[in-house]
Amino acid sequence: MTIGELDQDGALQEALTGTYGLSRAKFIGALGLGSAALLAELARPQAAESGVANDREILNFALVLEYLQASFYTEAERRKPLTKGKLATIPSRLGAVERAHVTAFKRALGAAAVQRPAFDFAGTTEQSGPFLRTAVALEDLAVAAYKGQAGNIRSPGYLAAAISIHSVEARHAAWMRYLLGRRPAATAFDKPISAAGAERLVASTHFIVSKAKTSAGRSPRFTG
Amino acid sequence: MTPRGGGTWRFDEAPAGLPPPAVSKLHIPRPVALDRADGTTWAPLRRRVVARVAPSVHTRALVVVEPRTPEGTTNLAVITGVRVTAGRLWVRLLLPTLPNGTQGWVRRSALGGYTVVNTRLVVNLRRFRATLFRAGRPIMRVPVGVGTPSSPTPRGTFYIRDKLTRYASPFYGPVAFGTSARSEALTDWPAGGFIGIHGTDRPALIPGRISHGCIRIRNGDLLRLSRLLRIGSLVIVRD
Repeated sequence: MTIGELDQDGALQEALTGTYGLSRAKFIGALGLGSAALLAELARPQAAESGVANDREILNFALVLEYLQASFYTEAERRKPLTKGKLATIPSRLGAVERAHVTAFKRALGAAAVQRPAFDFAGTTEQSGPFLRTAVALEDLAVAAYKGQAGNIRSPGYLAAAISIHSVEARHAAWMRYLLGRRPAATAFDKPISAAGAERLVASTHFIVSKAKTSAGRSPRFTG
Repeated sequence: MTPRGGGTWRFDEAPAGLPPPAVSKLHIPRPVALDRADGTTWAPLRRRVVARVAPSVHTRALVVVEPRTPEGTTNLAVITGVRVTAGRLWVRLLLPTLPNGTQGWVRRSALGGYTVVNTRLVVNLRRFRATLFRAGRPIMRVPVGVGTPSSPTPRGTFYIRDKLTRYASPFYGPVAFGTSARSEALTDWPAGGFIGIHGTDRPALIPGRISHGCIRIRNGDLLRLSRLLRIGSLVIVRD
């Protein structure tokens, strides 16, 4: 799958170029550069040997995508840039749903759940235009990523759960597209995206970042 | 799927051979609203940046903010406002500079990701007491030593910048928190005269006016506090 196929309306590119000032060429180039190490590690469920391990990898992959969405909407709700108009309730409504998804995956994975990464949404949570374009991009990505893993899930119970979340993400995607003035359902058949493809897309956003170094093993020089 | 023998499909004639739907192995809880208890948002500095008096490059420069603290940790700042000017996003920061309480504007792109914390420490200079609040509720109260009259602990609203451990200095105790507050009396102190919250090798002096401006806490209390006090928390010093 290419970036053009997933990002048919250019919403993802628009959000990222608006945020980082990338040209389209640089944007596409960025897909090949680096990656979020966390996602890279999670993006290989095919390599798992047992069904349980395979499904655990996929659940963790989904958990990272849910962390990403939940953190995005939660930050938008806390920053309160969208207090009026059609977007006023979007961060709280979608954020509550995505946080519920995170809770469900963490409960299912227990101690095997990956930690929440650090995120930098680079101001997209503080202005309505970038917020909405990023929301479309993240929802479209989630829809494609769940679809991409559906055939790899071995447990019928986890498959049922993934499908139940996938349809919710698809509703969100259509809703955000409608609000942005895009076609809610652009094609008759949606294409999936592989875990590696999702990893490259997420990496290209630079939304997953290193945690700030806030502690050190050094002697203080405070006034005492 | 077509009905046997063709014709029109009737749902009341669905074959009994289809298996029941799989039961989800995930319990998806009800969507939960965000806890709106008071929170403080902070962000790391990504690069050296000039903070200005207003959200525009054409306004007076206040101070240059470095991406590192004197302790070598990532410098961070508390966010107090946001504004879009000429299509650019600007944020107002509480700055670790003199005079204490200075706020300035920088471009959003100079900062990293936001973190929200719901703890804050309130230091009462008159009662020699520090109270830790979480989500607006007091959860811990400890006696403190504060600055002497000649080098007083500055009053105002500050924040925790970093946490230092694994050093060998009994004077500072087992843990030391760096704050954004600076001594207004000891301006030539090494590394800028920043005020810390740290332990002590003379616990009998607490509570009292005993320090060069730092907030001293008995080591046992400090270790308990260090497990609860989050980086980026506001530190409010008042009488």
